[in-house]
Amino acid sequence: MRTMLVWATGALALAGIPQAALANGWNMPVGVTDVSRDIYSLHMVIFWICVVIGVLVFGAMFYSLFRYRRSQGASAAQFHEHTTVEVIWTAIPLLILIGMALPATATLRTMYDASQADLDVMVTGQQWRWRYEYLGEEVAFTSNLGTPREQIAGGDEKGENYLLEVDEPLVLPVGQKVRLLMTSDDVVHSWWVPDLAVKQDAIPGFVNENWVRINEPGIYRGQCAELCGRDHGFMPVVVEAVEPEQFDQWLAQRKEAATQAAMGIDREWGLDELMTRGEKVYGSICASCHQPDGSGSPPTFPALAGNQAMLDERARHIDTVVNGVSGTAMPAFRSTLNPVEIAAVITWERNAWGNETGDIVQPSEIAEQLSE
Amino acid sequence: MWRVIKSVLAAFFGVQKEARRREDFGRGDGRAFIVAGIVMGVVLVVLVALIAHLAAG
Ligand SMILES: [Cu+2]
Repeated sequence: MRTMLVWATGALALAGIPQAALANGWNMPVGVTDVSRDIYSLHMVIFWICVVIGVLVFGAMFYSLFRYRRSQGASAAQFHEHTTVEVIWTAIPLLILIGMALPATATLRTMYDASQADLDVMVTGQQWRWRYEYLGEEVAFTSNLGTPREQIAGGDEKGENYLLEVDEPLVLPVGQKVRLLMTSDDVVHSWWVPDLAVKQDAIPGFVNENWVRINEPGIYRGQCAELCGRDHGFMPVVVEAVEPEQFDQWLAQRKEAATQAAMGIDREWGLDELMTRGEKVYGSICASCHQPDGSGSPPTFPALAGNQAMLDERARHIDTVVNGVSGTAMPAFRSTLNPVEIAAVITWERNAWGNETGDIVQPSEIAEQLSE
Repeated sequence: MWRVIKSVLAAFFGVQKEARRREDFGRGDGRAFIVAGIVMGVVLVVLVALIAHLAAG
């Protein structure tokens, strides 16, 4: 009875270990994907199998050492072989190994099946940052360390997510299968996020596949897990998992920003390049009514060359091209032309045919007006 | 022949009776064991590959 009580207490104490270990960050995380949960439970099952084997084997050994010690008059048995015992202690580990291999293999098969993904993201390691590209969406950016230098080298107090924060996280939708294609531009890196149970080498010249389906929205942090040079510790991974609707919104926003950047809306343009571009736009869009030399066909199509009213009122000129003039033949070009084309053609009109105002209309100015 | 196969199987498993071992080593010619070992090794590999293939089916 007393022995049983001791055993029961022991078992209870042992059963509490994983929870305590989890809380202390000693154990591996359960994670937020089905795969990470599978891996965690495999880990725990195999851990307990090892514990039981360890207790039995070492228990038998220490018991024998103590019980049959020489001071108590025990003498060693001298036999050389015992086929039955040998067969048993070979067969039992074999069965245990097979028993562990079956669920492990099933999980591995799931892990390696990256087919039928809803979204493809190319992950490229670079010394020392990660680059993410949403394939087919024309959205790509690099994710750099977000921890301020003063916290690393200076005397500033270290933040909560010290060295585990980035300027731009990888945003992924929850509930969708995301295929991660890993490669590298320079040396071998490894993209590791414990909560997603993904640790995949990024190797130059190779593309490795992996995938995640995140169950819970949240922010998941990881690191480069392959020593890759001086700043190996300064290229963390941050994944922000959001609801699909929120993800679509974010992606659309990023796409918009990407196209604007591609057009050059975010930069300052010079007079010459605007004139070159503007002449082309004018020739293909405006010249049929206002004539190539800006003389127009009054009264329906006013002349632009030497049009003092137009040259005096820059804002009204812009408004005329962007929104058109109701009740006249002048249409609105806000959805026909992009901000760069509108800015270029207005700049052209204000500087061509002797209209030498020197005015520059920046694409950013037009973009701002269009977004109002 | 059957004796050789049984001895190779015992070697695969890692357990053999001492008396059998003495008998086998008393034959003076090991070639049959070497050939059987290689052939059965190949058979084992093919068998494992086949099972893996079926399981992955
Ligand atoms: Cu790295």
